[in-house]
Amino acid sequence: MKKHTWIEIWGDVVEAKSLVISIAVITFTTMGAHLLAPQDNRTLGLFFGLAGAVIGFLIIVFLTPPKRNILKEEDHDRD
Amino acid sequence: MIVIEITLLLGMIIAALGAVTIYTFIGFIPGTDETSVLLPISLALVLTGLHPMIILTFFIASIVTLNLTNTMPTALVGLPGGVMSSPMIEYAIDVKNRGYSANIIQKMAASSALGVIISVPISLLLASLLIPFAENIRVYAPYLFVFGAIFLALTSKHKILSLFAILPLAIVFQSLRHLYWGLGVVPQEVNVTISFFLGITIGPLLVSLFQLLNKQILKTLEVNDKKTITIPSDATKEKTLNPFKLLTKEERKNASIPAVIVNFLFVLSPVGLTILIGESIGRRQKDSFKRSTTTMTSMSAIIQATYMSGIVIPLFALGIPLSPVAIGPGAALFNAPPVFTPDNNIHHLLTRFEFTVAVVLGATIAVVISYILISRYARPITLFILKRIPHEAVLGVFVAFIILLAFMDAGFINIFGVLLVGIVSGTFNKMGVNYGVQFMSLYAAPTLINFLIGVF
Repeated sequence: MKKHTWIEIWGDVVEAKSLVISIAVITFTTMGAHLLAPQDNRTLGLFFGLAGAVIGFLIIVFLTPPKRNILKEEDHDRD
Repeated sequence: MIVIEITLLLGMIIAALGAVTIYTFIGFIPGTDETSVLLPISLALVLTGLHPMIILTFFIASIVTLNLTNTMPTALVGLPGGVMSSPMIEYAIDVKNRGYSANIIQKMAASSALGVIISVPISLLLASLLIPFAENIRVYAPYLFVFGAIFLALTSKHKILSLFAILPLAIVFQSLRHLYWGLGVVPQEVNVTISFFLGITIGPLLVSLFQLLNKQILKTLEVNDKKTITIPSDATKEKTLNPFKLLTKEERKNASIPAVIVNFLFVLSPVGLTILIGESIGRRQKDSFKRSTTTMTSMSAIIQATYMSGIVIPLFALGIPLSPVAIGPGAALFNAPPVFTPDNNIHHLLTRFEFTVAVVLGATIAVVISYILISRYARPITLFILKRIPHEAVLGVFVAFIILLAFMDAGFINIFGVLLVGIVSGTFNKMGVNYGVQFMSLYAAPTLINFLIGVF
């Protein structure tokens, strides 16, 4: 068994290593995209940065499974 | 007769639809803080130089959608969708444990829609009543921020602590600005603001993240298993989509009256108001289950009304951000150089008619689409998000946002400057100094520091 460090932070559970990887990857794609934008154009700079954040977010979404056990329960009406 | 060009109208409709799409998705993701997700996107849009009406429509549609969708993960799985829905957590868990989630969702969506329908005309009306006094109010704007900070501190839960926080915070902000001016990192006339906002907003998260680097603290936060989340089945009996039929007469009253009242209190913190008024309405119910459902439905309406009045009244009447909503999430509509400045923003660029059209259009499109979407698909969307979107990705995006905006505001050095802001604000926040006081202190900082030097 691989050893995991689960941490409860901000109301949900994360795994320590994936959290570090996630922050590193998304920061890298965000700032990387931002630096690719034409200099002296604040608007494009922000857009590239936001697009980079979306790309990084999607990469992490594909690579990292959420640390949640989802149980479906029967719903019943009151009275 | 004033007419609006067809292309402009089309642009506004597209903007509203875009806002609904983006913020429906974001709203369902647990823990997505409102300011952090509203500010960067609205700022980007402002900087494109699009017509102010398009920007306003987009922003109004954004807040309406976000405030409605944020309550969904709260009600379904007990994870707050954003800051505004955190006050209803304990009631949501109670209702969920009784297996009533599917029904409460529809009731909340209906009262949320009611909150929008009520607060749009009232906030526009209140704003027009304020216009004759606008000139007088504007002259005192710098002092108003100081009074605002003190006022918010005195109305907050921890009054003395909050009062003590104001000056140290002002010193942090101004010392960083003076450092950057002194080093020539930014020109003298530029006040670094937006990244400081975000630093305040993400502060508590930054503190939590940095604490993980302390092994002893890390040990106390470790858990043995994943987060177990139960999601109710889709046993909705109600097939009607008529928001008025979904609510009983009493529920309609409990949603409408507070939605009217909070408009007059637009200068107060929206979370604070939601707790204060929502809970006082709920307390009147004897039965604990009815107390929970009543609190949740009336809070849904209050949340919408606090945001609507918090943005519409200061923007329509004054053009200066004199409410926590305007200072935080709505900041880009007031001040986003070079497009908007405090003397030349949406307030100055739009006529009353144009302003009203943009607000009504944005609110209507957002409320209709997101209301129908939520009433029908709240559960599958929540399930999808919880199964697909890891919490790590959400935290990663927040960190990346703050680094990006810090870098854009004042270069590499400001990443650490904002880190300082975040740690200071986050620590104050965890001690009990709310966001409203901190945002106001940021706005009041130049006046406060001048005052300090002048007096002593």
